[in-house]
Amino acid sequence: MHIVQTTELTKIYDNRYIALNALNLEVDKGMVFGLVGPNGAGKSTMFRILLGLQQPTAGTVSVFSESVSPERSDIRRRIGYLPTNPSFPKHMTPITYLEFIGSILGISKQQSKIQLARLLQAVDLVNYASQQINGFSTGMMTRLGIAAALMGDPELLILDEPTLGLDPAGRKQTIELIHELSGHDRTIIIATHILSDVERVCSDVGIISQGRLIYSGPMVEMRRLARQGSISIEIEGNLTTFEQQIHTLDEIGAVRYERTGTEFRITFLGTEPLSEYVQRLMTLVDRTGVDMLYITTGDGEIEEAFLGRLEDDRTRGFLRAAAWAAEQDVGNETAEDPNTVLTEL
Amino acid sequence: MQAFLTILKYDLGQLIHSWVLRIWLPLLIAPAFALVVIANSESELASETLAFYIWVVMAPISAIATAILSAAAITGESRIISDSILSRSVTRSEYVAAKIIARVGFTLTIYLFVIGPFAYLLTDYAVADTSIGGVISGLVLVGAMLAFLATFGIAMSVTFSSVLPAVMVVLVAMTLSGAIFQFLGLNAMSTTAIMEQLPATFRGEIDAWEHTQVLLIFVVASIAALTGAVWLFRRKDL
Repeated sequence: MHIVQTTELTKIYDNRYIALNALNLEVDKGMVFGLVGPNGAGKSTMFRILLGLQQPTAGTVSVFSESVSPERSDIRRRIGYLPTNPSFPKHMTPITYLEFIGSILGISKQQSKIQLARLLQAVDLVNYASQQINGFSTGMMTRLGIAAALMGDPELLILDEPTLGLDPAGRKQTIELIHELSGHDRTIIIATHILSDVERVCSDVGIISQGRLIYSGPMVEMRRLARQGSISIEIEGNLTTFEQQIHTLDEIGAVRYERTGTEFRITFLGTEPLSEYVQRLMTLVDRTGVDMLYITTGDGEIEEAFLGRLEDDRTRGFLRAAAWAAEQDVGNETAEDPNTVLTEL
Repeated sequence: MQAFLTILKYDLGQLIHSWVLRIWLPLLIAPAFALVVIANSESELASETLAFYIWVVMAPISAIATAILSAAAITGESRIISDSILSRSVTRSEYVAAKIIARVGFTLTIYLFVIGPFAYLLTDYAVADTSIGGVISGLVLVGAMLAFLATFGIAMSVTFSSVLPAVMVVLVAMTLSGAIFQFLGLNAMSTTAIMEQLPATFRGEIDAWEHTQVLLIFVVASIAALTGAVWLFRRKDL
């Protein structure tokens, strides 16, 4: 069952800025879905549309298999939402604010008290429970936002940058809390640009760039992709010659490398199998006469895979634009295959 | 309904603790007491004194306070609305209805709280030339104008994205419209013309049909402002 489903979801602000560009997303029940993307990629806009705070320009969006609209408070009753840098009524205290949320949700006063005490404990705000929100730091606001999102025990949790502004201890605590919250048929969507957070808690990941979902799949697949194109090698001998010759590896796709002393981390951005890259690298080692001390794959981690996907998307975006332009030139007679355009280019 | 009541309670709490109320109320009460004393010692006419108070004290001070309170109703907390309220199980209709009832109700409550005892004291201590029907008619007319101002302010609060322009538009529109309508001879729509006729109204010298006409105009204008505010707010991106 899809808890969240968007089809060709598009949002254009004032006919000037495209925030979401025909975004298709499916999040199933029980998933901890990490939505990763650079700032301005459209993550928060998508969340706001899911909550009915903004209206899509085109496309459809459904949550719990029902259409979302500003008047569908019954759907939002089942959703807990933490916005980025949340705003609260400043004159309230965490206790009065959570009571206020409980009252909106229709929770009885007694039940509300039990829940808020448990949640303030979980987000480590017990000592500040009766202080005015006015003087809270960004981290404390985020923690209060998490507690508010959890009031009413929602089936779907949407957390927009849940670790923003938190110190390392707070970040660790929040990640552990999300980990605890997962399961029990609860679905969690987390937007972040901190990839290690996603790696630690998410079962699935989506990469969003310029308003489009450019990758969506299980975390294990993402890890496999990460390992696919990254090789670390430690050598001794004529390191300068080896370094100068690395560029010759780009015959089979773009290559990036980082050098730390005698260790090189080489990332292949092409689509060839890893064995092909290893073989090429061995040939280079032979040719340059260096001694290989150590070789391993997959040190690139998820970040490399993420960057690779973004780079790939940028190239494809250019191809799509070129194909569209070509299509316009021939008077809309036939749309050209982007791959044909690539060959021509 | 639960969400509506929660927001209504929350908004009334905000209004009761607002700095506007702390300034507004003393500024209305102090001159009222002073005028009762003067009217008593100088044997002033109750109708003239009551109209003078409304024209010089009540109308300008309450107009500014109402413009601020109503025009800041939604614009003043736009981020809190989306982050803390409308992202929960609250519909926009519930939210805007609670705001309207809280702000309009609060304005009228403050007005009645001050003008009721003041009018009563004047009929006792000044020269009583007023009729009960006339006083009620006049006060209802002023109340209708204040209610319209509050609803117009809420409509501007939905339209503008910051408080200051919304307040300025409300105040400028209110000030200019009175003079312009009077100049055009549309006295039933002109707050200035209505204010000038208040002494006669309090004495019960105004035609009932004319009075009903003025009242209807402000009631219809208020309903139009509210309908516009709700329509716009339900479609607005937050």
